[in-house]
Amino acid sequence: MESLSARLAGVSLPDSEGNQVRLGSIWAEGPAVMVFLRHYG
Amino acid sequence: MREHEEEFSHKGARIAAIGLGDKNYGHVFREEAGITFPLLIDEERIAYRVAELGVANVFHVLRADNMAARKRAWKGGHRQHVGKLGNWIGMLDHDKNPFQLGGSFVFSPDNRDLYAHVSKTFGDNASISELLAAIPG
Repeated sequence: MESLSARLAGVSLPDSEGNQVRLGSIWAEGPAVMVFLRHYG
Repeated sequence: MREHEEEFSHKGARIAAIGLGDKNYGHVFREEAGITFPLLIDEERIAYRVAELGVANVFHVLRADNMAARKRAWKGGHRQHVGKLGNWIGMLDHDKNPFQLGGSFVFSPDNRDLYAHVSKTFGDNASISELLAAIPG
C-alpha cells in the first residue's frame, strides 16, 4: 500500500501568505514533521 | 511545537503545520502563536481526508481527559480564535468542522512514513519525545 507521505506528496496547499506549497517539497530534502492542527486556536 | 523547533532543527528536520480556516485566520493564528515554521491552509480538508484523520463529536467535549487538556491549554495561554461571530459561523461550514481531529507524522525524503500519531480526541497529541525519536540520526 502506498505510504501516506507518498499520497500527500502531490497535494498543494496555500500557506498563510498565499503561496502554493506542494507538500512533498517539505520533506524532499530531509525528514519533516507534519502537524495537522485540530483547528486553529 | 514552536518551543521545540530548535530541537527538531538540530536533528535536521523541518516542521510544517496544516490547519483549517482561511488565509486570514491562518495569518492571525501564525502571528499570535508566534509560529515561524510554514503554516498551510487546508480549507477543503483535502490533506485531512488523504490522511484519514477522524472527526470527534460534541460528546468528546465532555470527556474528563479533554476537560483536563483544556485547562492545561488555558493555563499555557492558548485561546480559541473564535472572537468574532463570523469565525463561529465560518467554522460551522461543511468544510470547517470544529470537531475535526488532527495528527502528527514524520516523513522521510523517500516518502517513508517514519511515525504516525492520529488523534483520537481533542487533547490527544503526539509527544515531542516520540516525534524526535522518529527522526533518523
